[in-house]
Amino acid sequence: MTGFKNFEFVAGLVLIVLIGGAVALSGLLFPDGGRAMDLTARLTAPFTGWNHPLGTDPLGRDILARVVVGGRVSFFVGIVSALGAVVIGTVVGLLAGYYRGPWDMFLMRFADIQLALPFILLAMTVIAIIGPGLDRIIVLMIVAQWVQYARLIRGSVFSLRQAEFVQAAQSYGLPDRKILFGHILPNAMGPLVILATLNVANNILLESSLTFLGLGIDPLVPSWGGMLADGRNYIQTAPWVTIFPGLAIMLTVLGLNLLGDWLRDRLDPLGATK
Amino acid sequence: MTDLKSRLLIAALAATTALTAAPALAEGTLTVAQRQDPANWDPVDTFLVAWGSVASNIYDGLVRRDENLDLQPGLAESWEVLDEGMRIRFQLREGVQFHNGEPFNAEAVKYTFDRLLGEVGGAGPQQSNYTTIDRVEVVDATTVDFHMAQPDPVILTKLSGYGAMIVPPQYIEENGQEHFDMNPVGTGPFKFVSYEQGARIELKANADYFEGAPELDGLVFRFIREDATRLAELQSGGVDLVSDVAFSAVPTIEAADNAGIVAVAGPSIYSLALRTKDAVTEDVRVRRALNMAIDKQALIDAFLAGRGSPIASLQGELSFGHDPELEGYPFDPQQAMALLEEAGVAPGTEMTIDYRAGNSTFNEVAQALTGFFAAVGLNVGLNPIEDGVFLNEIVPQGRTNEMYQFSWGGWTFDFDNTAYLTYHEGEKWNPYGTSDEMNALLDEQRQSPDQKLREEILQKVAQLAHEEAYHIPLYNEETVYAVADRVEGFVPAPDKRLRLTDVSVAE
Amino acid sequence: MPILSFILKRVIQAGFVLVAVTLFVSFAIRLTGDPAVMMLRESANVTPEDLARIREGLGLNRPFLVQYGDFIGGLLTGELGNSFFRGAIAPLISGALGATLLLALTSLAVSLLISVPLGIYAATHRGSFGDQLVRVLSLAGLSFPNFWLGIMLVLIFSVTLRWLPPSGFIGPQSLIMPAVTIGVILTSTNLRIVRTTMLDVLSSQFIMVARAKGLSQTAVIYKHALRNSSIALVTYLGLQFGSLMGGLVVVELVFNWPGMGTLAIEAIAQRDYPILQTVISILAVLIVAVNLLVDLTYMLLDPRIRLE
Repeated sequence: MTGFKNFEFVAGLVLIVLIGGAVALSGLLFPDGGRAMDLTARLTAPFTGWNHPLGTDPLGRDILARVVVGGRVSFFVGIVSALGAVVIGTVVGLLAGYYRGPWDMFLMRFADIQLALPFILLAMTVIAIIGPGLDRIIVLMIVAQWVQYARLIRGSVFSLRQAEFVQAAQSYGLPDRKILFGHILPNAMGPLVILATLNVANNILLESSLTFLGLGIDPLVPSWGGMLADGRNYIQTAPWVTIFPGLAIMLTVLGLNLLGDWLRDRLDPLGATK
Repeated sequence: MTDLKSRLLIAALAATTALTAAPALAEGTLTVAQRQDPANWDPVDTFLVAWGSVASNIYDGLVRRDENLDLQPGLAESWEVLDEGMRIRFQLREGVQFHNGEPFNAEAVKYTFDRLLGEVGGAGPQQSNYTTIDRVEVVDATTVDFHMAQPDPVILTKLSGYGAMIVPPQYIEENGQEHFDMNPVGTGPFKFVSYEQGARIELKANADYFEGAPELDGLVFRFIREDATRLAELQSGGVDLVSDVAFSAVPTIEAADNAGIVAVAGPSIYSLALRTKDAVTEDVRVRRALNMAIDKQALIDAFLAGRGSPIASLQGELSFGHDPELEGYPFDPQQAMALLEEAGVAPGTEMTIDYRAGNSTFNEVAQALTGFFAAVGLNVGLNPIEDGVFLNEIVPQGRTNEMYQFSWGGWTFDFDNTAYLTYHEGEKWNPYGTSDEMNALLDEQRQSPDQKLREEILQKVAQLAHEEAYHIPLYNEETVYAVADRVEGFVPAPDKRLRLTDVSVAE
Repeated sequence: MPILSFILKRVIQAGFVLVAVTLFVSFAIRLTGDPAVMMLRESANVTPEDLARIREGLGLNRPFLVQYGDFIGGLLTGELGNSFFRGAIAPLISGALGATLLLALTSLAVSLLISVPLGIYAATHRGSFGDQLVRVLSLAGLSFPNFWLGIMLVLIFSVTLRWLPPSGFIGPQSLIMPAVTIGVILTSTNLRIVRTTMLDVLSSQFIMVARAKGLSQTAVIYKHALRNSSIALVTYLGLQFGSLMGGLVVVELVFNWPGMGTLAIEAIAQRDYPILQTVISILAVLIVAVNLLVDLTYMLLDPRIRLE
């Protein structure tokens, strides 16, 4: 049984290390950032030469370079948005769970409102007001997701508040801040890490969806979502333009999901993140 | 709710039976796929080409423009321009009926224009095209006089336009405006049958059409937003004719065994407007250098599948005012760099192109443009902006970057339409101003009833704009249709109106 | 009665959420740009008077709260009024809502059809190669960008094989590809829930007892374990209803499905305030209602919830 469990871990880790490693080194591997154009070599098929091993796109740019460089955007959006949401969500969740009262009231009502608004429609409306951009997409994701973490932490705090070690700490007169961050938070970390891992995966997909809908980022910056969106008109004549970035997204997200799943089995036997 | 119920029921019932592929197309019925649903069939409420392609089959105007852009009699048999352009008299066709049986006559013409120029038209976008008309007078049942508020050299062309389509007075009065929005009635070759918002509109042949019944029995327009999906529908036999074909799909269709491409010169031109105030592009040398940096033909070959031609001014060859003598700036990166240096623009200077997001072809063109600019040492970035924001806030208020997209489809094919809008003081597409000379020229040609003189002035306008390099004119694109092989006799018009009276389908 | 007061409290909270959502939506939409300019965007010779006239005609000169009041009044009475561009809203919404719900329910059915048997298999063969394969495959399903999957399906089943219509709604066969595209995503999580809850139940005391009494494996699975799984599934789907609606937007676009998402995208592009605020509000009402229902059901099933 554990043999198969470790399969998830090993497979996930290999995928993330390979893809993440290439992306991290993209600056060294492809110093031009995948931007060099050559209209005379547009839509070169893959596996036909060493110049462009994975072929070229409609502007004659190298697909391999763009896939590797494009990973930066996906990882950046995925990680930064998840981190931002974790930080805000954790703080609010701790306060709401520990102090209850108005904090809790505010959190829960905000969560209700959040739940009632379909994210993509909200994002399209907001972007119609403030204009598109990577930074805005990240902020929107944080706004949309911090509540999940806050609710999770709040739930953990509720149950931990009654725990003996917290009661003991309180009776010793430890300040609230120390109890919250020193005792309660470490015990609530497991589910948080799992949720964050899965949300990084989810946000990479979300970024590609938003770019597909035309709300995305500077078209000159290679990104997986952008490559898929721009390549979809060539899907019959030059499928490689979309297949490789599509594979990159899929394998990255799969790697993260495998790791998240493995973590869940390890850290969250009670199923708080089910 | 009943709609949902019946859909669910149908789905449930049919799920148990064998599933079939897309049904074979009905014989004698042509199915067209286009991107947009105009969502309202009242002529006074629209400006969309998507409306014109459908509604040109339902309505007629007093005059009609044919496939060669010549004016032909429509519901008017003849006309006379009187009082130095201040009055136009139309003799109307007799014995014509609207699809609901209501007679077409002078009262219907008067009603149509009273409506367009009155309160109903005021809430829509068409009225502003017709404000040179003061009023319409009924002389007798088959004669009307148009009294002009001022002479309008393009009024006859405009009378073939969307807003001037003749509508049935009794029908609208009895059923109300809202009913008319969704259930159009005209005099045209096809009658309205049904309309499902966002999905399709169905028409059937008008056997009593005054120019004879159309070849087809029925006509269906489907509204499909995604380029790839329209293409897939054509390939899988779900539609016969696709408009708004993405240029990137042209090779696919050319290679298909059941369909082909039909192209026609169109009105749409693409260009980059240059910011002439408070920017590095203030200097005309810089603007000329930018013009010389671009290989227009390479753009056309790569991204338009060769279906377009380079332009030197903001108009195509079919446009009134086009000057074949006017040559655009040559593609000359060396001279461009020399000019930039002369103007004191350092290599690596940053500029930005604002453009309308959502057009996949121009999105590629814009990226390629940055490549050409990079080749002359400029570091040009892109800023795609959603249509609404771009048109509402960025351009008219002069909040653009150094370069911004200007694309236009002047449906009148008269350079006045485009030139006035882009070069005349206070116009929406001229946020940074041009010159007094330009304003004077534009005003002069608007006042003049002499078409020869107008043409000369418009050519002078184009020449002046070229010298000042207000824009980087890029290309005039062809309008491309993908047509299934079973369709016969399809001849597209350059103004993108699809009048499908002579088309038939093989069985 | 604590139950009654709990229900009352929840209903009041739901009401508060709806007021906040509708206020926010109709306010935010009015910041996105001027529909009058959108209407005249391709017209030449536009004067400020033209714009003012159109704004007046659309009723946009009135104070925001008056416009909001009108909108809410319309929602409550069902008199949804007119779109800026497209005539009466009510028939538009009912058609689109029907299409979206039809697609959502079919997707759900597709996913249950796949996830329940596979979940049972995985739980009863825990730790086997099959179990692991099912889990990894379900994770793979969760890893596709859904629009990409949709386009791929069209390419295979419409363009190449010509089995299925690529877009629109011409009959039940139109449902297959969009439903599968969405169903694949739902399947991954549903499968996980079925598997975990089944495992919980199978290892619980009363099942041990039931087994000891000689109940067959099949009876155990179908009588007890599955019932527990379905409660968990319903809860989860209730919570995910909102994001399901959001995810439908992209898939509807790919398949040109005449639903709420397509309607909303068009409305945003045109600055059609009435349609957009109605679409988002109705979706919000649905989501809130579903969540309320889940909450109340849950409370009746598990009275401990009330403590929270």
